Amino acid sequence: MEKWKDMLPLTEAFYYILVSLYVEPSHGYGIMQEAERMSGGRVKIGAGTLYTALNTLLNKGVIDNYPVPEGMDSRRKMYAITDEGRAVVKAEIARLEELLESGKHALSIGEERGT
Amino acid sequence: MTTAKEKRYRLSLSWEHEKEEDWLNERSAEGLHFEKINFIKYTFERDPSVRYTYRLDYQGGLNNKEKKQEYIDLYKDAGWEYVCSYGAMWHYFRKEWREGENPQLYTDRESLIALYKRIQSLIAVLFLCNLGIMSFNLSRPGPIRIVILAIYAFIFFALGFGYVKLNKKVKEMTK
Repeated sequence: MEKWKDMLPLTEAFYYILVSLYVEPSHGYGIMQEAERMSGGRVKIGAGTLYTALNTLLNKGVIDNYPVPEGMDSRRKMYAITDEGRAVVKAEIARLEELLESGKHALSIGEERGT
Repeated sequence: MTTAKEKRYRLSLSWEHEKEEDWLNERSAEGLHFEKINFIKYTFERDPSVRYTYRLDYQGGLNNKEKKQEYIDLYKDAGWEYVCSYGAMWHYFRKEWREGENPQLYTDRESLIALYKRIQSLIAVLFLCNLGIMSFNLSRPGPIRIVILAIYAFIFFALGFGYVKLNKKVKEMTK
């Protein structure tokens, strides 16, 4: 059994970290900005939350260290998503879609019945 | 330019780090800005022209220089200035105070609960260490044993109290 199976459901912070790394490898600061941008300013990941989340994700093997490309600030450590990480994101999105579908379905029935 | 340093004394407890933050923030509002700590002695710098928000983080595994620097750099990117550390685990950060803002290091409930649990395991470890030291000290003969017992009774009471307090905090957050 893979280590990541018990990670679902993901917290919003974990979800946005993984989703932003799905696009491309990034450093901590880039992840923070990306999460804020994608959520329209709603999700601001604090430094403590991000730092501990990155350590947890590394331990679970869903992200990995990524060599800092030439010409970039080598002070900033970079991270990339792993195959396990991609699997987690897909499983989470499937879970969220199911929730969304059931919820919408229930709402439409409820409204039809006029309650 | 010479800056005025001032000292204050406070016994800060691991399970009340938020109260310690409040205390530092109140001092900063008065123009006294925390700079370093030595057990119970806090050194402040007086400067009425600024005001900071202080936050205290508990983070282990930063024993090597490179890891610690990475940690400090990440917080710096998020706008936090590193102030100092207490022991290997407690780290103080600050950023300039702004009206209506209340910046936090931990921005969701899950990571805050995880932080409290980390502090709780620290207390559990301290408890066990002291238990070991006590049984060692008690192996000495003589009336000194009563004094030793009294001291440890106090330590265990304090640690136990801290553990229970954190437990309550976690429970309230998971309700």
